[in-house]
Formats: sequence, structure tokens, C-alpha cells
Amino acid sequence: MTAISDGAGTQDPGFGQGLRAALPIVLGYLPIAFSFGVAATQSGLTPAEAVMLSLVIYAGASQFLALALVTSGAPLLVAAFTLIAMNLRHVLYGPALMKQAGASASRRHAWAWAWGLTDEVFGQALGALARGRRFSEPYMFGLGLAAYASWVIGTGLGAVAGGGALDGWPAVQAGLGFMLAALFLALLLSILSRALLPVVAAAILACVLGTIFWSGTAGILLGMVAGALTGVLRR
Amino acid sequence: MSGDLVLLALMVGAANWAFRALPTILLRREPQPGGILSRFLAATGPAAIATLFAASILPQLYPAPKELVPLAAGVAATVLGFLPRRSVVAATLCGALAYGLAFAALG
Repeated sequence: MTAISDGAGTQDPGFGQGLRAALPIVLGYLPIAFSFGVAATQSGLTPAEAVMLSLVIYAGASQFLALALVTSGAPLLVAAFTLIAMNLRHVLYGPALMKQAGASASRRHAWAWAWGLTDEVFGQALGALARGRRFSEPYMFGLGLAAYASWVIGTGLGAVAGGGALDGWPAVQAGLGFMLAALFLALLLSILSRALLPVVAAAILACVLGTIFWSGTAGILLGMVAGALTGVLRR
Repeated sequence: MSGDLVLLALMVGAANWAFRALPTILLRREPQPGGILSRFLAATGPAAIATLFAASILPQLYPAPKELVPLAAGVAATVLGFLPRRSVVAATLCGALAYGLAFAALG
């Protein structure tokens, strides 16, 4: 197995393999977290407050929205409810992952590693299982910890460096900005099969329509639910 | 540090932890194979990944298309990078590299 191979293995994958599998997530998270750190300090937060938000909330879109809500003076409970509602989709990630992992998969330490089940970590873990890799909690810890650390470190760097750090490198900025889209496409390719085409098509269509006619958050929720319901209907 | 900001973060962070961890911990019974819940959960992952891919490129296509050449180059390179070894890591890095190069080439 090569250093960054992400293929199937016969033994339970370990912590180090989880860390290595997180590489594309780390490269995608760093610039986004950096942007959040910059935006947070430009909104009047201190670097410590910016890092605290990334440590405690750890959800990208919610954090950017939190800046807008805080600076607009939204009441605390309204802001909290809005931000919480944005992440409702995460409820499905754990059960979907454990279904793919099988009945014998350990979830003894799920209270800790499941904190790291962001969209990208979930997608990477599910893709690995679909490619034949066995489920293991050390792998989940490695995958989740690398992603979490990159998110927090990226925020700190952005908050301290301020805007303009990558302004002289627009192509690098652009390439890094495409990293997460490329990751999701690669994950989609890794799990795609003829039987799943209706699920994928329904999810994409509902996401596009939901985004156009409602909002980005609604589009994501509608896409997931429409795709999952299509999976229920097919035999 | 603002007390209200810390309180907001703690409320949202606690909810995020509950959304991510509690279903994993509490839903221990294996759904009946072929049942509605089993099929729903089996389709949730692929649906989520497809949705997140669409959501990640949609801002470049709607409401006004922008940077279409780098987008096409990035998508093509991701697919081509995936094919030889079915490696997600290699495909992702190829896609981002091609996007950045196409962006630079267009000035």
C-alpha cells in the first residue's frame, strides 16, 4: 500500500491511514478556514474569538452566518436557532455510515469521533467503505482529527494574518477553492453504480431547484431527502 | 471575549455534537434488510455526496456563469485522475491543480 493509497485493505485501517485519507479535506479546509479567520477579524472579532468559534461550532457555513448574525445584532436565541437549523442534515450521517459499516462495527468511542462528522469527513469515510475498506474507530479518529485541526489552524492563521495573504497568488487561491468540489466529485465517482443513478439524479435535481427557488441550505436538505426517498422507492 | 458570543457558540456547538453523535450512539438496532429504513439510510450517503457536489459547483453556474473554463478543466481532470487507480486523493489533487492552471492560463 502506498503512502496515500485509499484503496481497500484486509485489516482494520488505523489512525495513520485516517490521517492520510484526510489530505484532500485538509487542503480544502485550510483556505476556507483562513477566509473565515479573515472575515471574523474584519467583522470586529478578536483572533481568540474567531478560533473559539471554529473550535466550538466546527461547521463552516454556520460560522460565516454567525458573523452576519452577530454583527447585525440578531437576538441570541434567534441566531442560535438559525445556526442550529442549518446543520440538521448531520442527523442522518451517523446512521448512514454505520449502516454501511455493518452490524459488527464498533461505536464505543462514537461520542468523540462523531463530532468530526462534517460533510467532507462523512463523504470520505463512506467512500472508503464503499470501496471495500473496513470500518474502524482509529481510522475515524485520524480522519476527523486532521480535518478538525486544519479547520482550527486555518482559522487562527487567517485571523492573525488578515486579508490579502494570498492576494498575490490568485491561481493558487482558485485551485484551493476548487478542492472541496473536486473531492465531492471524486467521492461520487468512487461510489457510483448504475443502480444508484436515480438516487444521484434526484438529489442533484432537487438541490438545484431548492437552491434556485429557496436557498442554498434548503437546496442541500432537499437534495439529500429527495435522493434518499428515491432510494426507498427503487427496488 | 464576548460572553454572548461564547454562549452562542456553546449552544450551536452542543447541537452540532448532538446531531452528529447521538444518532450514531443511540440507533444501535440494525434496520431490517430491505426495509424502508434500511433503503433510506443506504441511499442517504450517495444522495448527500451528490447533493454536496452540486451545491459546491452551483455558485459558479447560477445566477451568472463564471470561470467556466477552469471549472470544466477541474471537472475533467478529476474524472481523468480518478480512472487509473480509482484514487480519491489523486483525483482531488488533479482536479484542483488543473483548475488552478486553467485559471492562471486565462490570466
